[in-house]
Amino acid sequence: MAALLSEEDRKYLVDLFEKELKGEVKILFFGSKRKEECEYCDLTEQILQELAETNNKITIETHDFDEDALVKKYNVEMVPAILMLDSEGNDMRIRYYGIPSGYEFSSLIEDVIATSKKGEVDLSSSTLKKLEEIKSPLKLQVFVTPTCPYCPRAVLMAHKLAMKSPNIIGEMIEANEFPDLSMQYNVSSVPHIIINEGEGEFVGALPEDAFVEQIMSVVKGV
Amino acid sequence: MPLFNLSNVSKPKETNYDVAIIGAGPGGLASAIYAGRAGLKTIVFEKSTEGGQILLTDMIEDYPGFVSISGNALAENFLNHAKAFGSNFTNEEIIEADLTSKIKRLKTDLGNEYTAKTVVIATGSNPRKLGVPGEEEFMNRGVSYCAVCDGSFFKDKRVVVVGGGDSAVEEGLYMTKIAKEVTLIHRRDKLRAQKIAQERAFKSKMKFIWDSVVTEIGGSKNVEYVMIKNLKTNETTKYPTDGVFIYVGLIPNTQIFKDQIKTDENGFILTDEHMETNLEGVYAVGDVRKTPLRQIVTAAADGAIAVIDMTKYFD
Repeated sequence: MAALLSEEDRKYLVDLFEKELKGEVKILFFGSKRKEECEYCDLTEQILQELAETNNKITIETHDFDEDALVKKYNVEMVPAILMLDSEGNDMRIRYYGIPSGYEFSSLIEDVIATSKKGEVDLSSSTLKKLEEIKSPLKLQVFVTPTCPYCPRAVLMAHKLAMKSPNIIGEMIEANEFPDLSMQYNVSSVPHIIINEGEGEFVGALPEDAFVEQIMSVVKGV
Repeated sequence: MPLFNLSNVSKPKETNYDVAIIGAGPGGLASAIYAGRAGLKTIVFEKSTEGGQILLTDMIEDYPGFVSISGNALAENFLNHAKAFGSNFTNEEIIEADLTSKIKRLKTDLGNEYTAKTVVIATGSNPRKLGVPGEEEFMNRGVSYCAVCDGSFFKDKRVVVVGGGDSAVEEGLYMTKIAKEVTLIHRRDKLRAQKIAQERAFKSKMKFIWDSVVTEIGGSKNVEYVMIKNLKTNETTKYPTDGVFIYVGLIPNTQIFKDQIKTDENGFILTDEHMETNLEGVYAVGDVRKTPLRQIVTAAADGAIAVIDMTKYFD
């Protein structure tokens, strides 16, 4: 199959990773043999393989959604799915459901860099303080389309919060690939963020403070 | 659109600059190109993805040098051009700005502070809301301001497009490729869009409702209808639809500068012919400026004029 990454982008990533990657990054990919149920599994796996070839700190592990024990361990809910582990094997608590294509490819790259730094990300001190108040599990599902230029901001915000709080799972969900789930949450405008499976929701790539405020209002049950 | 887009991977950064450009649409990116070429240490702030409004446009046919290019591809060209001349980029939103003193101070949503000797405000504009009952309520239930973002949710469904300018007609045409039915509702009896787009619209499957405004968006869970009032007959009718795409003008993103920068009554920033605002060393370019024309080519030209003038502060 022809390479998905252009030569120019490949070189860009080689340079970027050479400069930015600190430690090792293990990317876990979950696919399915039942191709009719996972149209984008092959494409997702291929782009990850090409990504891994740009720097030897990145490794890809492929798992089968239907038979793998890790599905349960990491609570993988659908495919294609991507998650990342740092050099000590810590789950960064970020999930990609659906192919991270279009603008979301940038999110994937940012996450690889953050994972190589063991989840060191740029968040304000007031946000970090508020995250300490989160004591029970919190799920952030960010519904996106690959053509939405506002969406990576919301995805990265959810992912950064997940990296910094042991209770948060931050998911990207490519809305077109999971129409039933999108329909269940009435997604018709993206980014659409669902908090704890419907306890809270909002639409739009809010600035950090406002984004965190939305989450805290669910946490505090306001 | 490239299948895998790398445009908004951010780069490492310092905090003191010659030029801070707020917004990475065509105006901001053209400023960055000229600033880089002038040897000025430059940073560009972009809160979402570099490219600005052109990312919301499917195809562009009125930027010189390109008979037809996707908004996405043109944005990438602009960005690569700016990076080639050394500008720094960061994905942060400016939430506070002190522009009155000689050294300008900018604070971002991540809590970082930057300084710059000059500032280019290139924050563009957001879609204006219709301001009718149901619009807020159905914001995430069928009301949209971005056809390229949300169009795919309306595959084989019925949508209405509100407005008669370039955006309404072009994005309506984009929707004719996806939706089963596209109806454009316009308050006048003819379109304001460029003639060539009008002709395409008339040849397409798009339907038109003239001299009419939407007075309400309604439904149970999702949008099911709009109420349309004919301005000539004053008759109101219920029109079934699954989606409402709204393109009725722009609101400039000037809220955080309001106390310091002079604007017109609609919030668009007033500048002199060199794009300089009422504050020394602070410039405004592109859609955010009070200007007779808001096109990619005029935004880019604004950026060039601003930065050439700005070099007087560095001589």
